[in-house]
Amino acid sequence: MNRKLLLWLLGAGTPVLLLLLWWATSLQSTDTFFPPLKDILQSFQQLWLFAHFQSDVLVSLGNLLLGYAMASAVGVALGFVIALVLVARNVLEPLIHFLRSIPPVALVPIFISLVGFGTEMRVFSIALAALFPTLIATVDGIRSVDSGLKDVARVYRFTTVEKVTQVYLPSAAPQIFSGLQVSLQVAFVVMIASEMLGPSQGIGAMTLLAQQSFMISDMWAGILLLGVIGFAANIVFSLIRRRVLAWYIGSRRLARSS
Amino acid sequence: MKIQPKTLLTSAAGFLVAVAAWQLVATGPMAGGPLPTVTSVAVNLAAVVVTEAFWTSLATTVGIALLGLLTSAVAGIALGILVGSFEPFRYATVAVLEFLKPIPPIVILPLVVLVLGPTGQMSWFLVFLGCLLPIIMQTVDGVHDADPVARDTARSYGLKEPEILLRVVLPSAMPFIGTAIRVAAPGALIITVVAGLLGGGPGLGQSIYQAQAGGDYPTLYALVIVLGVLGMFFQGATSAVERRMLHWHESFREAAHR
Amino acid sequence: MKTIFSTSRTSSAATAAQPGKNAMTEEIAPADTTSAPPRLDVSHLAKTYGMGDKARTVIEDLTFTVDAGEVVCIVGPSGVGKTTLLKCLAGLHPSSSGRAAIDGRTISGPPPEMALVFQDYNRSLMPWLTVRKNLMLPLRHLHLSAAELKERCDDALAAVGLSHAEHQYPWQLSGGMQQRVAIARALAYRPEILIMDEPFASVDAQTRFDLEDLCLKIRRDFNMTILVVTHDIDEAVYLADRVVVLGSKPARVLRIVDVDLPAPRDQITTRSLPEFARQRTDVLSLIKRPA
Repeated sequence: MNRKLLLWLLGAGTPVLLLLLWWATSLQSTDTFFPPLKDILQSFQQLWLFAHFQSDVLVSLGNLLLGYAMASAVGVALGFVIALVLVARNVLEPLIHFLRSIPPVALVPIFISLVGFGTEMRVFSIALAALFPTLIATVDGIRSVDSGLKDVARVYRFTTVEKVTQVYLPSAAPQIFSGLQVSLQVAFVVMIASEMLGPSQGIGAMTLLAQQSFMISDMWAGILLLGVIGFAANIVFSLIRRRVLAWYIGSRRLARSS
Repeated sequence: MKIQPKTLLTSAAGFLVAVAAWQLVATGPMAGGPLPTVTSVAVNLAAVVVTEAFWTSLATTVGIALLGLLTSAVAGIALGILVGSFEPFRYATVAVLEFLKPIPPIVILPLVVLVLGPTGQMSWFLVFLGCLLPIIMQTVDGVHDADPVARDTARSYGLKEPEILLRVVLPSAMPFIGTAIRVAAPGALIITVVAGLLGGGPGLGQSIYQAQAGGDYPTLYALVIVLGVLGMFFQGATSAVERRMLHWHESFREAAHR
Repeated sequence: MKTIFSTSRTSSAATAAQPGKNAMTEEIAPADTTSAPPRLDVSHLAKTYGMGDKARTVIEDLTFTVDAGEVVCIVGPSGVGKTTLLKCLAGLHPSSSGRAAIDGRTISGPPPEMALVFQDYNRSLMPWLTVRKNLMLPLRHLHLSAAELKERCDDALAAVGLSHAEHQYPWQLSGGMQQRVAIARALAYRPEILIMDEPFASVDAQTRFDLEDLCLKIRRDFNMTILVVTHDIDEAVYLADRVVVLGSKPARVLRIVDVDLPAPRDQITTRSLPEFARQRTDVLSLIKRPA
């Protein structure tokens, strides 16, 4: 029991220790690239709380959410069509396979050329890039719906809507969620990339600008904020997943333990 | 499973319709705009692929991606076995790893560019970092998955701990590591492109940036198409390698029977 | 006892009817099978998969009937195509030739008055729904009032003895309990014809006995026509009014055996009757004999 407590302390303590170490060793730092953590935190507070909060942080997050929401909705809906309609599958699958192989960030220059540097460009870039993981996971998930469940739906004469919402969707949900998780990460990357390639708005743009104008602690503050957002987005996603897929997580845990 | 000629035909038709639609839009409503025609992209593609510069940047891109993947695999497996085999290590790193995992390497791109400059080294480092975490974490999972009975058997035959790691733990962790590398491989390519596009590292990413900045849209599209093909090739090659190396493993035996 | 043995099948069904609720059985069960049309009529049914050289005939020329209120068991060696037969009857697969009909209507899709209990309980219950919600799912499009919905679920759960587990998920239950949930789902649907595909194949022996008795109780309480597919001869003889013995391959009817065992049946007394032993030996020798 004592050993367990010790290990637990080690787990919680290491990150704290690392932060303290960073703070202490950087305190006297004169290295241009690695300023004191104290300065970085100061910049963080000055920049993001709250001078640029509305103008940049909220804009970035808004684009991210909007693009991601579009990608999720279209990805799941299109995934259903492709999985259930044979013709759609044959026509679209090779095309999708090709499009998803393009590094998502490489689509950003194309969107810039098509719709300029505005908000639309960012949202569309995010949406299109984040579409494919969800779409492909949805197709896979629906195709692997158990034939037993499909028979049940037919024997009890479920309507098409019931089949889709009561059988296919929940049954494919675990796979859809893993697709959504990848999509979220892609959306985040493309959000940053679209800001770095575009004009001067958003956290990514601010961070790159700080780097280019050699305001190193501002750049660090940007990196820190992006890191926190990446982490927080993942946490929020995991919480939602745990709620929605409680049945799945529970059954898997039970199956593993037996 | 054999692909039926009819399926192939509809797929080809789907592709042709998409290309035709593109051509129609580019010559009709968006004529003279930023969307190049299919023909101009095709001409450009043909012109680009015969230049030496193209092949150099293609080779650079692939080289950086593979080198980054390889080095992160070596380091990731070593660290993963270390973390997975010793409980204190695992507890000490779990919080840090979980925090860093959802943060993509693009976040620290400004810093890495600042320190290493727009060089191949910079690109490699980002690829290395980006692939490292998933490989470490999968290796840790793989080490935990090692059959305790096999471990005990090995111990009862008098094998020493390092030998057990090499002969029992590592082989049984291989499927996990194989999956991690397969999943990371397209990522390696993506990060290389991102590093070129946003950080000015050498390779196709840089070429895309130049094409966009110079308004040379046909070349931009041609390069993006090349990246798509390259991405498909990367995915195909890594799954083939994984299959070949892990032919003994259950999930592939199952797949073979299907 | 002797007199009961010698009575005909229909009169023994009437004996099964007990006072109260079960008096219904007596009224509805046809007094004479020749006057009423059979509930389920299978005639010259055949099913062939594939075409040309690869054609594989699974079922060849099956003919039998099931009367209203009857329990009929179909037995045959495993792999004989019993599941294929059920899928044809349930309207999940079209038959290749011949026909299956309910009350004279040819079955072309899942019939509304039929419910099916599948062999694999763990592949037929929705793992994301609690037991009660699993029961309610097929009732959604019947547009019942909330009160009736509740009553049907409560009744069905009580009938299978799972009222206490209504808020649990199927995967939290044992195999036997899961199969009882699947049966309860069928009961809540209130079908007139209940078809079960090897329903007790993957549960332990004690649970199996309980589920068999549950099956007989359902027939008594809900006046259902029940068709059970099984590979267990003892089970078939114990449950059935008639046993359809199938031979392989392809499946065809070897013989239809009338089972004249007294009702109510009981796991211990019925199974120890000499008559029971004789009937099961009859069926067994039919199956064992090289076709």
